[in-house]
Amino acid sequence: MTAGRQPVGPPPAPAIHHLETVMGTVVTIDVYTSDGPAATDLARQLTTAQAILQRADAVFSTWQPNSPISRLRRGEITSAQAPAEVSEVLGQCAIARELSGGWFDPWAMPGGLDPTGYVKGWAAQKALGAFRASGICGAIVNAAGDIASLGGLAPGQPFRIGIADPFSPRRLADVVYLTDAIATSGTYERGHHLIDPHTGRPTARAASASVTGPDLGLADALATALAVAGAPGLDLIEALDGYEALIIAIDGSRRWTEHFPFAPAR
Amino acid sequence: MITATVAGLAGVLAFHTSPARLGAGVLPGVSGTSASAGSGGSPQGQGAGGSGSPPPSSATAHARPKGTAHARPGGTRTATGPAVNYNYGVLSVSVTVSGSKISHVGIASIDDGGLPRSQLIDQQAIPLLEQEAMQAQSANIQGVSGASYTSTGFQQSLQAALQTLGFK
Repeated sequence: MTAGRQPVGPPPAPAIHHLETVMGTVVTIDVYTSDGPAATDLARQLTTAQAILQRADAVFSTWQPNSPISRLRRGEITSAQAPAEVSEVLGQCAIARELSGGWFDPWAMPGGLDPTGYVKGWAAQKALGAFRASGICGAIVNAAGDIASLGGLAPGQPFRIGIADPFSPRRLADVVYLTDAIATSGTYERGHHLIDPHTGRPTARAASASVTGPDLGLADALATALAVAGAPGLDLIEALDGYEALIIAIDGSRRWTEHFPFAPAR
Repeated sequence: MITATVAGLAGVLAFHTSPARLGAGVLPGVSGTSASAGSGGSPQGQGAGGSGSPPPSSATAHARPKGTAHARPGGTRTATGPAVNYNYGVLSVSVTVSGSKISHVGIASIDDGGLPRSQLIDQQAIPLLEQEAMQAQSANIQGVSGASYTSTGFQQSLQAALQTLGFK
């Protein structure tokens, strides 16, 4: 059933396949190795990645009334009094707001400041950074469909990632070669309303928007922005070095930036 | 060996012709006849479009899904996989096979030990099924962007249930 350039046989299985319950969802961590680094190294790095995710949840959970972000939202503390990563994330959110032309704006959410749309990707990207052992040829941190990665299945064999079909959640709309990160945002996401920062109302001008690029936090923010802005937002992405986007419109038609990394169908 | 199962399931799901809707806790897998597999297979599975019971004894030769999954001729058979650990607790998967086709996949039992998240978990069971079905359509992908949940425990239990039924 494979054709063309793929080596014969099933793709390599990951040396680590771990599911972490965090941030109200399941984060999948897959690590692929070539010669097999010392198992203790991998285990230690996995522990670090888990801790990074759990720490992000503890600081940024808007569901936990005593989390620093909740206290900040209620005005009980200032961002200077909050843990250092709060300032870091809010700084990055301000950049994302700027780069997205205001279509992503955690300060314009109906319930007040809510950086959740940035935090999940940011945390997954940070967790990915834990994997540095020499024998690792690739790693994936998949935060409920927002995916940070490095390397590939093997040298010269990039990861292939499906994009969910917004009109049929059990099907794939496309497959991409992933070199770093991909985030997809759409109206079909469960429990997730897309808010137009300009009006404060739930709005979506695309069925789904996917953004690839070096950083999952920013890709996540931009995907959210594009799902709200629709196809006109593509120009913003085209202007950003290293970022590409695919929009599936409400009528099912597609628009994408020039170098969106489509993989050949197989 | 999970890969093998996924490939097998992918072959079977390729028969999927009508976009069946998910019922509660149920993944209506394959229904209707496969047009693409052709080979003049006798029409069966008139219960298309839902998870309805397939014709009782449709032991006629079916077109094989790309050689990855095969089954003994026979009617409708159901098996439940072993309870396996997943991230929230323990679950087991049941699968119903009609001839060479999977007609139903569901979660037979789920026990998260009464964690406060239990209600959330129940809600997660269905998207989990959706995710697994989607991954299964392409054995050669390492993830899905825009999807929600995944579980190896689900795959392990499903694989065991399929083996019980003579799929491999």
